[in-house]
Amino acid sequence: MKETRLAINIVKILIKDRMLYPGKLIVDTFSVVARCGILLILYWYVFKLNNGVINNTTFLFTAWSMFFYFSFSVLHLSGIARTIMQDVQSGNVEVLFSKPVSYLLYRIWWQIGSGIFSFIIISIVASILLTLAIGFPPTITIGMFLPSFTLTFLLGAVLTLCVYSIVGLLSFWIEDVNPIFWIVDKAVMILGGSYLPIALFPPLMYKIALYSPFGASLFITHTVSPSWQNNWYELIGIQLLWIFGLGIIVYWMYEQARKKVSVNGG
Amino acid sequence: MKNNIAITVTGLTKKFSYSVKNPHSGWIKNLFAPGTKEIVAVNNISFSVKHGERIAFIGPNGAGKSTTIKMLTGILFPTSGTVSILGFDPTKDRKKLAYQIGTVFGQRSQLLPNLPLTDSLEFFGVMYDMSKQDINDRIAELVRVFELDPFLLQPVRKLSLGQRMRAEVAASLIHRPKIILLDEPTIGLDVVAKKSLRDLLLKINKEENTTIFLTSHDVGDIETLCDRTIVINHGTLIKDLPTENLAKTFVFEKYIDLIAEVRFTGFPELPLGIRYTHQDENKITVVVDINKINVQESLRKLLDLFHVEDIDVYNADLETVIRHIYERDTTGN
Repeated sequence: MKETRLAINIVKILIKDRMLYPGKLIVDTFSVVARCGILLILYWYVFKLNNGVINNTTFLFTAWSMFFYFSFSVLHLSGIARTIMQDVQSGNVEVLFSKPVSYLLYRIWWQIGSGIFSFIIISIVASILLTLAIGFPPTITIGMFLPSFTLTFLLGAVLTLCVYSIVGLLSFWIEDVNPIFWIVDKAVMILGGSYLPIALFPPLMYKIALYSPFGASLFITHTVSPSWQNNWYELIGIQLLWIFGLGIIVYWMYEQARKKVSVNGG
Repeated sequence: MKNNIAITVTGLTKKFSYSVKNPHSGWIKNLFAPGTKEIVAVNNISFSVKHGERIAFIGPNGAGKSTTIKMLTGILFPTSGTVSILGFDPTKDRKKLAYQIGTVFGQRSQLLPNLPLTDSLEFFGVMYDMSKQDINDRIAELVRVFELDPFLLQPVRKLSLGQRMRAEVAASLIHRPKIILLDEPTIGLDVVAKKSLRDLLLKINKEENTTIFLTSHDVGDIETLCDRTIVINHGTLIKDLPTENLAKTFVFEKYIDLIAEVRFTGFPELPLGIRYTHQDENKITVVVDINKINVQESLRKLLDLFHVEDIDVYNADLETVIRHIYERDTTGN
């Protein structure tokens, strides 16, 4: 109960913060418009050159898949890795370790709260614009779409937090986790369908995207695909398995990290 | 009266180890099997603190003060020894203990920088699982005691350092902790802000019987705020005594000021046991080691050497005493 109240309070505080200082919303909007917009224009042209169909996929499915990726990235859950690293490097970790909260849970909620305002605004506005521009794929109107989408979105968020928490917690041992962060982040971007929509992946790469935690954290990009109706429970199962496995690792690392804390000037 | 004890520390030791490259080994050996160096930050210290006491925990830089305070709060795990705070073991009951203690780290902020101070205070109230009514009542109380009203609605990042430190202390007291641990709370503050913060801490100690445990390099904090001083150096506890007795530690040293009748024209060699600490044509200050020469004899010999208009004899100030303690411990004299 206390944890829930604190989590809600963290999110509320950060939404208030973001509303008072809308700079981050502007930066996030610009980032999504620039990155997603340019890629969509490029793919629109590539699809046009191929008579509108590549690998049995149309631009409509590809555009929405990419939009889901970029919309999810606005939550900026990956930032937890760098936040933990900064806490460790600056010694700020001691302030939170002296409070009656779990440092990691606090940081997780903080990360969610930091991105949720931009995520909601940008997702709503961008989905309206995308619908007006190209319409929406018929798969979205199927009854099971919304519940399965919501579930895979939430599980993807949890899995992302697990993956990047592991990277962040490594900073208790190696302090500068930037190189590891870079590798993991690029793996997530590629296997999540940032550069190349997953529908266009070659078979081997598709399998890697399917069975690695990097790809599994972004299964929302699969939800617009017609095959989603047949294999959504399998993909959600993969997400659950990774959450279970990585969750144990996160818990173990956190317990070890607590004993490993070393702060400048103490 | 065991239940009057708030903090008990027994044989507390903290060692930090880190990897070092061996210049005589190859890079592969240094990568996979580097040498290890160990630093003993805190070495087998023991003390106890009663409820309501005001403790200054002092020592030079790197003495082990902050490490000790972090072990007391459960941030760092001791290598050996035990800590009991209000019956809790900080390594096992960190969260339960956190409800009973408040912490202020002078060089770090716990407040939300972009939002008004009220938001931070409310936020900490929720963190400490207080009811909405409790939070509001406590905020009103802290605003009154700490005189936060003029800047309560200002974003924290726009506060002056003095205002921010008052706010930091207020935030750490939101849950009415029984003990407050402060790590250099007055660092960087001007004299007015320092005095204001000390007065507030004294007030909280008197009104709520909050135990105060602070580390500081500021003699004023120790003199005006703390009734007991624990001195630590090289991780070892070297003094634990009432602050008023601290100055008496060096009673074997007396300072004598000599004011020139006209002006001093020379500075002759002084008798054994007396040495100059200040010398100009208007004033000379000497320090007398009364183990070697008593005050009466010193004065007689000094008056033979100098023509003076006035004489002042006094003990060393607390800052000098503390410096002597550190130096004596370092040189082993």
